[in-house]
Amino acid sequence: MTTARASNPGAAGETGWRDRVRGAVGHGLLAALSLFCVFPIYWMYATSLRRPDEVYSVSLFPWPLSVGNYTHVADVLPIGRLILNTFVVALVIAVGQLLVGLLAAYAFTAWRFRGQTLLYLAFVGTWLVPFQVTMLPNYTLLYRAGLLNTLPGVIVPNLVSALGVLLLRQHMASFPRDLIDAARIDGRSAWSILWTVIVPNLRAPLAALAIVLFINAWNDYFWPALVLQRADSVVQLGLRGLFVGVEGPDWGGLMAGSGLACLPIFAIYLLLQRHVVNAFVRSGLK
Amino acid sequence: MTGTFVEVAAVPRPRAVVTAQRPALARRAVRALPPYLFLLPAVGALVVWTYRPLGAALNLSFFSWNLLPTTPKEYVGLDNYRRLIDLPELRNALWLTVAMTGALLLFTVVLPTVVALWTSALGGRGRAVYGALIFAPVLVPPVAGAALWQWMLDPRSGAVDRVLGHPINWIHEVRPAQIAIVVITGWHLLGFAVLVVAAGLSGIDDEYRAAALLDRASRWQITRWIVLPLLSPTLVFLALMTILMSGQLTFPLIDTLTQGGPDSQTTNVYYLLWEYGFQNFDTGFASAAGLLFFAAFGLVALALIRLSDRLTFHDS
Repeated sequence: MTTARASNPGAAGETGWRDRVRGAVGHGLLAALSLFCVFPIYWMYATSLRRPDEVYSVSLFPWPLSVGNYTHVADVLPIGRLILNTFVVALVIAVGQLLVGLLAAYAFTAWRFRGQTLLYLAFVGTWLVPFQVTMLPNYTLLYRAGLLNTLPGVIVPNLVSALGVLLLRQHMASFPRDLIDAARIDGRSAWSILWTVIVPNLRAPLAALAIVLFINAWNDYFWPALVLQRADSVVQLGLRGLFVGVEGPDWGGLMAGSGLACLPIFAIYLLLQRHVVNAFVRSGLK
Repeated sequence: MTGTFVEVAAVPRPRAVVTAQRPALARRAVRALPPYLFLLPAVGALVVWTYRPLGAALNLSFFSWNLLPTTPKEYVGLDNYRRLIDLPELRNALWLTVAMTGALLLFTVVLPTVVALWTSALGGRGRAVYGALIFAPVLVPPVAGAALWQWMLDPRSGAVDRVLGHPINWIHEVRPAQIAIVVITGWHLLGFAVLVVAAGLSGIDDEYRAAALLDRASRWQITRWIVLPLLSPTLVFLALMTILMSGQLTFPLIDTLTQGGPDSQTTNVYYLLWEYGFQNFDTGFASAAGLLFFAAFGLVALALIRLSDRLTFHDS
């Protein structure tokens, strides 16, 4: 390329022109794809902010702005309590999965023991067990334990995340072995090594994983739908109630409710954008 | 007499050995214990909430039962499996699962690769902006996603039909409904897949590219013969995830948007399972189906992992 350019000055202009066209086409296609991704979300908020009698308007900007749809949703649903419930459930699940996963990953890294490979495969294998197979026996177990229709019934079966265990194991495996050995020679117990040596050094991946686990728990739909069966429990179920109306769905209210259900996650995303992105990347690269 | 003598004489010796051994054994047991203790909560939860139910499902698959505690379970042997294999709905659902998975690969492997290659050529800010926009749908909860797309696709007043200019009943016509399920699921997943490919790209050593440039390779040649082969582990991983998870990923959408219809043309194997288990209450039958899928997906996963070990190039 460079030699060609040196011998023929006209070619340089040509490739530059071609690069610019290529760049423009690339930008155009990426912009179209971005629009495809973002427009539905924008349209959801735009619809929710129209006046309830103008929901069917197609003007690109909702004007005059109105919170009528939101006040309507607040009348129909205890939306504040729904969000609070969902928040508590997601937080407890995320923290629980993090703690349980931390202990398990530590066991896999710090010791060689009998049955290690088998137990590790037991975690990997959960990916293959479909939710629809385990739901019936789990449902009957919750019924017998008296946990149906309770928030603990949603939380307890979700307290272990194979993803969490596998990711934390990977992070710990790349942790310098010498530091652990040095702490051991110092006479520290395994328990105190975990909390004083490993955890402080894994703060970033732990935070990232916590975000992913929280978002996953927030977005979970089927287990809560099965266990709670009431519209006034978590956001995802409350939304479902809005689908059914006398004259078809109440679109304004539905968009307002959906917008509210997304809001906490978007807020986390805007505040901690880089961490969230890193977290998802890490969770994808097993 | 001799017997007792021998016994009396013999007893102290083993006892001495035992007393010498017991602390050693106990000490060894105590020393071996910690990893198991640390694993106890996680493994306990796995056993209770994943593997015990799997065993229970295996057991249920040999019975006929309608989930009511008052009706007795009736042992039917392999009948559930036999019925399952003869079921035309199963073949239909299997075919649809395969077809939808194939279509989804476009959104989880092909498109993300193109997007990641393009954006990696851009500067830092452009890459960040496009990345952030394409990532946004990943964060939308499934129910909210279903709701907002149902609104977008509404035949009377939805934005999509207004832009297209003529009404298509996206949810009640076969082909449009199938397209809608795949495209909406793709919309949810695209941003995540782009991130994964971008991370894979950034892991490729720039020296290979520089060396190829010295050899006067064209941009396409570099992509085709250097970047893509080095990226193949990432792409195989994404394909594996798509194949294993696509049934689960389309499930919430099918349930909220089409309920498998029209004419069972948007169903998949998991939705079929769900219908038999929780709508028809044919518990034994649903369990048999679930176990069959578990076995089949296990085999597919094994085959793919084998294949990827053989196919992928490693940067070493």
